[in-house]
Amino acid sequence: MTAITDDSQRLGPRRRAVLEFALDNLVWLILLVVLVVFSLTIPRFFQIGILLNILEQSTFVGVIAVGLSLTLIAGHMDLSVESVMALAAMIVALTFGTGGAGSGLELTPAFLAFPVSLAMALTVGALIGLFNGTLVVRFGINAFIVTLGSYILVRGMVVALSGGRSVYGLPDILRVMAVERIAGVPLTAWALILTFTVFAFILGRTPFGRHLMMIGGNAVATYRAGIDVKRTVTIAFVLSGALAGLAGWLLASRTAGATANLGIGMLFQAFAAVVIGGVSLKGGQGRLSGVFAGVLLLTSIQTAINVMGMPPHYTQMIQGSLVLLAVLLDALKGAVRRRYL
Amino acid sequence: MRKFLRLCAGAVLAAAIAVSPISPASAQDTKGTIYYLVPTLLDEFQTGSVSAIEKFMGDVGYEVKSLDAQNRTDLQLNQLDDVLNLDPAALIIAAVDFDAIKPGIEKAREAGVPVMIFDRQITSTPSDLTSVAGTVEIGELAAGEIKRLLEEKNGSATGKVLQILGDPGDPYTLDIQKGFEDTMAGTDVDIITQAAMQWEASNAGSIAQDQLLTNPDIDLIFVHAAHLAVAVAAVLEAQGKAPGEIMLVSSNGAPVGLDLIRKGWEQVEVEQPLYAQAAALAMFADKVVNGEELTPGTYEVTGLPSTLTVEEWGPNIKIPGAVITADNVDDPKFWGNLQPPAEPVSPVE
Repeated sequence: MTAITDDSQRLGPRRRAVLEFALDNLVWLILLVVLVVFSLTIPRFFQIGILLNILEQSTFVGVIAVGLSLTLIAGHMDLSVESVMALAAMIVALTFGTGGAGSGLELTPAFLAFPVSLAMALTVGALIGLFNGTLVVRFGINAFIVTLGSYILVRGMVVALSGGRSVYGLPDILRVMAVERIAGVPLTAWALILTFTVFAFILGRTPFGRHLMMIGGNAVATYRAGIDVKRTVTIAFVLSGALAGLAGWLLASRTAGATANLGIGMLFQAFAAVVIGGVSLKGGQGRLSGVFAGVLLLTSIQTAINVMGMPPHYTQMIQGSLVLLAVLLDALKGAVRRRYL
Repeated sequence: MRKFLRLCAGAVLAAAIAVSPISPASAQDTKGTIYYLVPTLLDEFQTGSVSAIEKFMGDVGYEVKSLDAQNRTDLQLNQLDDVLNLDPAALIIAAVDFDAIKPGIEKAREAGVPVMIFDRQITSTPSDLTSVAGTVEIGELAAGEIKRLLEEKNGSATGKVLQILGDPGDPYTLDIQKGFEDTMAGTDVDIITQAAMQWEASNAGSIAQDQLLTNPDIDLIFVHAAHLAVAVAAVLEAQGKAPGEIMLVSSNGAPVGLDLIRKGWEQVEVEQPLYAQAAALAMFADKVVNGEELTPGTYEVTGLPSTLTVEEWGPNIKIPGAVITADNVDDPKFWGNLQPPAEPVSPVE
């Protein structure tokens, strides 16, 4: 047994770059293989409409997964995103919906409902994010406990606000995101792409993103380097909440309203996507491109199940197996890196 | 910090006491307190059942306190254990899980507390009264209507139907599926079945979206709850379909389903007669609480002819589900129109 790496096993710079690239983008490779296998084996799977469906249906889990990644990279977590998404959707639906428990607010001119509802959803999300962030940062309470409490509390607020009733009949202007397309791609999918692009830039190219990585890696050292750790982590929670609000706004648009159980189960899908995408649960590591691939991978599997008509009981088994596989692959990647890079 | 936490704990405790469903003083003017164990409040039918049961039981002199099991079997069993210590006049149970609640029912009856079963029939152990619409029958009714719609469209009962269940772990949806598929057996209708996990609406929308791409010749979509139909209609609208171009049938009769019928997206809603199911329990509540025998026969429950039989699992009153179409959608008797019968329920003598 030896802990010393044999230099003869080290690769040359070119091979090393190739291997590093492959390891960094392994989840994309898996996604590609899965899509090819599905296309070859499932009748009618390979068509542009199905691929667009995968993209569109990835939106909600994808947007909350971005927020979840921010908090995880900072060394914390946000379990409340699913409930915050539902609350944002319900508040928008209760305000503008004309059926069920909706109050049917009409603004003049009508297009104002679009920015106003979006602002409402983002504000609701950001406020809950601020609440979570404050309890975690200022009072030093564990993020798991704080956001678990918020997860339950906020879902309770959804039920209480709606009285358990559905809300429907959103005005046409609020359905634009679900109905309209640009270059054949649904606007909701564009929202997903834009979200990932913007936040990948923020994480990779801005001081805030770098600070977040540093805090997740070693908060004490980052603090000693003169970085305002508390402020940065609080902002991460606020952004996570606001993104959940955005997801809720998009979900209300897609379902033309809201129900008390809207979005239930998406937290676990988001967690699975984040883990598959290579974000470290210990903090300090992760790239949103991997998370994007993770979300697309999970949705592809769900879509394949829909198209095949496979009993849905298998969905969760497959998703759970994928998460375990991702963890094993992550460990394998670490071993390969230590040995060859 | 400690002061803040103490303050929070105090506030939570005070709030819990304030909203606690257990308030003995308010039960003094009634015949007693009946506890209703509702499986979830994330479902419009169940939410409606709480107010309906409270109203009708109030008509016959009982106070009702409802406890939400949040779709958790373990929590419902815990709730049952807890309320048995509160000297209840009776329990009303809409089970999260038909089998898991069985020991709880047996325990309650051994303790001398009558148990009434609402909506979700339990046949594995005796109870004191069961009030059901018959979920299998709802599936059969839906099948009859779907055959009619396909005949009107294609000239005969042929075509392709996408059936979207609720959560595959919920016996309610499996019973509807059984009734539907058994009745459709032998026809030339191709049925594709998928399940919306956790009864979540956007899951139903995604299934419809995917299936319409791979099976563009789908004639009709049958969903097992009206709130799922909303997401499906939203997908159809987003795909540029006109109302009725792909037919939509749903069950449970929630307000959203009725609204979809008015807008032309949905053709048929098979109603679970929520008001009548709740009223039936109230009509027989005195007899159940006093341990009197229930006489089999036909009874009129909120205007619906309902049959009380004595089965292996005890007295069972079955209320027929109703078919709602554009012709009768505004009838106030449907619970989806949210107009509970003004006339109070009278106890059966």
